[in-house]
Amino acid sequence: MIEAIDAIPLENIYRIDPSDRTPIPLYSSGVQAGFPSPAENHIERRLNLQDLCVPNIETSYFVKATGESMIGDYIFPGSILVVDSAVPVQTGSVIVAWVNGECCVKRFVRQGKQIMLESSNERYLPIYVHLQQDQFLVLGVVTYVVSKPPRYVRPR
Amino acid sequence: MYGLVDANNFYCSVERSFNPTLEGKPVIVLSNRDGNVVARSNEAKELGIKMGVAFFETKELRQQHDIAVFSSNYTLYGETSSRLMSLLTQFVEDVEVYSIDEAFLQVDGYESLYPTYQGLGQAIRDTVKQCLRIPVSIGFGPTKTLAKLANRLAKQHPELGGVCILDNKGAVNEALAGFPVGDLWGVGRRYASKLKKNGIETAAQLRDAPDDWVAQVMTVNGLRLVYELRGVPCRMLDVSPLPKKTICTAPGFGTVIPDLNTINDALTTHLARACEKLRRQRSLCGTVTVFLHTNRFRKTPGNGQPAKAYYNSRTVELPHPTNSTAELLTYAQESLRSIFAFGYNYQKVGIILSDLVPADYRQKGVFVEGPDERWIKLGSVVDRLNGRYGRDKLRMASQQYNPDWPMKPQYLSPCYTTRWEDILTAQ
Repeated sequence: MIEAIDAIPLENIYRIDPSDRTPIPLYSSGVQAGFPSPAENHIERRLNLQDLCVPNIETSYFVKATGESMIGDYIFPGSILVVDSAVPVQTGSVIVAWVNGECCVKRFVRQGKQIMLESSNERYLPIYVHLQQDQFLVLGVVTYVVSKPPRYVRPR
Repeated sequence: MYGLVDANNFYCSVERSFNPTLEGKPVIVLSNRDGNVVARSNEAKELGIKMGVAFFETKELRQQHDIAVFSSNYTLYGETSSRLMSLLTQFVEDVEVYSIDEAFLQVDGYESLYPTYQGLGQAIRDTVKQCLRIPVSIGFGPTKTLAKLANRLAKQHPELGGVCILDNKGAVNEALAGFPVGDLWGVGRRYASKLKKNGIETAAQLRDAPDDWVAQVMTVNGLRLVYELRGVPCRMLDVSPLPKKTICTAPGFGTVIPDLNTINDALTTHLARACEKLRRQRSLCGTVTVFLHTNRFRKTPGNGQPAKAYYNSRTVELPHPTNSTAELLTYAQESLRSIFAFGYNYQKVGIILSDLVPADYRQKGVFVEGPDERWIKLGSVVDRLNGRYGRDKLRMASQQYNPDWPMKPQYLSPCYTTRWEDILTAQ
């Protein structure tokens, strides 16, 4: 029994990659006689988190964060980072890179010939990378951070 | 014009791409059961480690030098390979995947995007370096054979910067004059010595040989090669390869096995793998071959004499093509029992599925029953379940159920891109 017409605004309707295998919701209304659902013609498919977070699957990597150095950028221990290697690295990008074999997530700041890797937690000092002396290899730029919400702590 | 993109020391480079401390160090990658060396970094080549050498023979070198050893992680290499191929399709439309680390490109008609081949080659190299952190070499030529040759030159001469272009007569002439005929694509050792006997040592000499003579000595395939060297394309880009004509699985035991039961278990495992492949490419097979052999190089302990050797195989033609593991297994096991001889230490049992036909082709025999449709359906159900719950969750009862077999590879790197437990961690 439909009492109010609950129209879906056009901007809330998305089209996603047809090669994707998300199940399509079958929205065949059971109303045989009477007013058919007005939404029937507008629902296309379910949204997929992958389309939002990992648009370039071929150039993206998942990396797990450990440590608390990037808490200011909402990167917590255990967060899963989506790292896109095709995105150009600029000053200010949060990147995942190896510095002398150590894999770290830091904010990239170019300072002339050297590179500063900044943490967003004031308890951590920045790392300075000299391209001639240090081995430095970028995996990519962090494009999304996937975290669980923090555990609830009862206020006192 | 054609281009050939080929990754340098692909397996080693992939291991390095997730572990940059290996840069500059010798790296080797071992075959399926850690038996032989199948890939070497340039540093390992310089130490004199030969392709295909047995792993235990490198022991002395490993004690002297700091050599990084990896078991082959085909999950990781395959995934990196598919990323590489999809990056290439961003540059040109027609890409023929030639092997796990090689692809031919059709590069005509992109002049407005990439005015020079050098520029295109450099752009591909830079993109792959940025996205996959592995080095690739690129050769350009008017035919596939010349592109392949150019690629080889790009690898041999680091001063070219990884890109070699043979786009005019002079460059082609110079390249062919210095190129040994035995290194050409499609010239094996046998043809190379035959050609040498007739005074042909370089690719240029072969190109200038008379057609009749080439056709006589090297058949029509050799003639095609000569035309390709002259710049006349005979091998076209094969963008959608046909399904495989035969499927073979024959990994070694990793140790020697004397008894029929264990060999039978191994055979069932191999057959299960082969049937999975068969069903994945939607084929049925009409002929099964089982072979069994001892290690030809094994010495009798104590006296150093060659151990007694045995080799046998048996081919069975099926009454109707099928891809059901259970059905094929009855034929395979019967064949194995008929060729098994008591008293040998066997190194390997293998299975070859041939006479493959598409799955929708079902010819009913006149005097024999057709394949049971229920078996065929069962196969795809089993594959789906195993895909969801892990390999070999549903298996034939005679399949090996020993977690220590097949031997676990000892030097496996994590599957960084395909398993949540294995992804990189960053501080």
